[in-house]
Amino acid sequence: MHNAHFDGSFSAWREIARSLLQRGIAPHQINWLDNTGHAGLFDQSNDSFEAVAATQAPRVPRQLLELLQSAARFRQEDRWSLLYRILWRVARGDRSAMLPGDMDGSQLHRRLKAVRREAHHLHAFVRFHPRPDGAEGPQLVAWHEPAHDILASASGHFAERLGRSTWLIATPQDGVYWDGQQLHYQRPCPAEWQQLAQNPEDKGEALWLAYYGSTFNPARLNPGALQNSLPVRFWKNLPEGPLIPQLMSQARAGAQRDGQAEGVARQPGKRIRRPAARVDAVSGSAAPDLPR
Amino acid sequence: MQLIEKLTVLADAAKYDASCASSGAPKRSSRGKSGVGSTNGMGICHSFTPDGRCVALLKILLTNFCLYDCQYCVNRRSSDVPRARFTPEEVVTLTLDFYKRNCISGLFLSSGIIRSADYTMEQLIRVAKLLREEHEFRGYIHLKTIPDADPLLIEEAGRYADRLSVNIELPTEASLIRLAPEKQVRTIKQAMHSIHLGESEARAEKRSPRFAPAGQSTQMIIGADATDDSTILHTAASLYGDYRLRRVYYSAFSPIPQSPNTVPFAAPPLLREHRLYQADFLLRGYGFQASELLSGPGNLALDIDPKLAWALNNRQHFPVDLNRAEPAMIARIPGIGVLSAKRLVALRRHKRIRFEDLTRLRCALEKAKPFVVTQDYRPPLAEQHSSLLRQQLSETPAQMALW
Repeated sequence: MHNAHFDGSFSAWREIARSLLQRGIAPHQINWLDNTGHAGLFDQSNDSFEAVAATQAPRVPRQLLELLQSAARFRQEDRWSLLYRILWRVARGDRSAMLPGDMDGSQLHRRLKAVRREAHHLHAFVRFHPRPDGAEGPQLVAWHEPAHDILASASGHFAERLGRSTWLIATPQDGVYWDGQQLHYQRPCPAEWQQLAQNPEDKGEALWLAYYGSTFNPARLNPGALQNSLPVRFWKNLPEGPLIPQLMSQARAGAQRDGQAEGVARQPGKRIRRPAARVDAVSGSAAPDLPR
Repeated sequence: MQLIEKLTVLADAAKYDASCASSGAPKRSSRGKSGVGSTNGMGICHSFTPDGRCVALLKILLTNFCLYDCQYCVNRRSSDVPRARFTPEEVVTLTLDFYKRNCISGLFLSSGIIRSADYTMEQLIRVAKLLREEHEFRGYIHLKTIPDADPLLIEEAGRYADRLSVNIELPTEASLIRLAPEKQVRTIKQAMHSIHLGESEARAEKRSPRFAPAGQSTQMIIGADATDDSTILHTAASLYGDYRLRRVYYSAFSPIPQSPNTVPFAAPPLLREHRLYQADFLLRGYGFQASELLSGPGNLALDIDPKLAWALNNRQHFPVDLNRAEPAMIARIPGIGVLSAKRLVALRRHKRIRFEDLTRLRCALEKAKPFVVTQDYRPPLAEQHSSLLRQQLSETPAQMALW
């Protein structure tokens, strides 16, 4: 058995994997030990993985490395051994190992999909809180709890989105800070970043909550569709999260008659009298403007 | 009126428009620039409300004062709803605030008709212009187009908006005359034509100013009149053909407060809406013709999806051998989508397709089984009758509601 100790980064894994592959060491003979896992009883010995003289450098399609790098972001005990098994098989000419119809390939693609989806969840469900004007540090802060290691690779999106605004996203594992010009990534996440992100002084959420409640159509209540698209694990960090159960129970308790929001139904209405001149949808007609 | 009260009223007034897509815009980025906003072609759903619909855009009316009296609309002039009107600056403030919070990817702005079609259209354009020019906003903008507005105004709107839309409202002219007396099919189609023309010109000439790069869409209300699915699908197909619409949205008629007698007062026909979307997807993505899905008058089946219904009516094409068939035919097999079809074709370059490959690709096996042949599987020789198959494959009927 070979113990492969490394720092849990893809580049380090890649170096070791290359060396093991050149020495012809089969997947079942390797224990992958990144420092996130616990050391096993017989883990003291560490192999040395100096590159072997490149007699026959393994050749694999470049696309495979991209797939492996992306799948490595999937949090699971066996993430490195699956990657090596696929690398091993492809390097020996069995390219079906990287296809979704294959036994290992289907695992790979399932993980790729989950990683893509989690990056998309970051783009969709991060909620920034503006900090008071003149406060030191980032203008916008967000706390997010992703299920996979996607923060470093997926957060560049917000630099495109927010221009020169400065922002910070902190997670339980890592954090990223955009100073207006550059992205700074930290793993583990500094405690003061976590502190900033978890305790925003933000009093401006009321408008968003009002919008969320009002754009919901209680006559179309469909909790199943909601939970499929917006997994429950995200609710606690969304400002609208606490509103969801409230709106659902209101809708069940009778608001389903029609689509109007409760806050609107309570207000007095106003009928508009028929316009004096027939407004026959003619441009520039002389009908008076309506009162504000 | 406080801003928050206006927002409550004008979001409520806008929610019957189903579209909330933020996709199809060209790549724009604010990295290192002043202003905010980016688009990359992919839409983002930032939240979902308990009706299961996505929140991608701030979807509001500029005002719900309206001179028209469309029977299906909560904002018709005879409706007793609270009324409000935003100033353009207020809409800008809301859009930018929600955008920075990452709650939305842009704005979908529509309006009741005030004073005149042109005046209303000018107000909408003003908001988009403020956002783009004063605030350098590069996010998504969808503007509703007022059918009777001057084509020059539509052209101007197209320079600021990513998407324009004119609602066809109802699937037939007769229904429109009955339920929306101030609207006319002729002017609605003229507006669609103006947008289509603008799009084609911008595409033909590289250096011409941009024009609604995410194209145009429309919405049809389902269940407010008695039109059948066949008419609806054929109408949709001709709209796709004539004006290159990106999407037709089907909005199940949702009962409105103080409903007039001309429209139904029943729960929205959500399953019917769902089947229409499935059928629409088959038209756009799978190469089906409307007449293949519904050859005569009538509605889509509610208990099975339209692709399965087509396969059951066309057993002569099945079973399909996955190791030999054309990719387009594989995508027509119930339970196998376009993506799985592509993957099967890629896989069969390396090996013969076996039944377990379908399992790994997560195809809907129960649906696909009677219709496929693989190296190690073929459906039982004594072919099951379509009606029996249908019984087995139909989705369990929902229990009738108690109330």
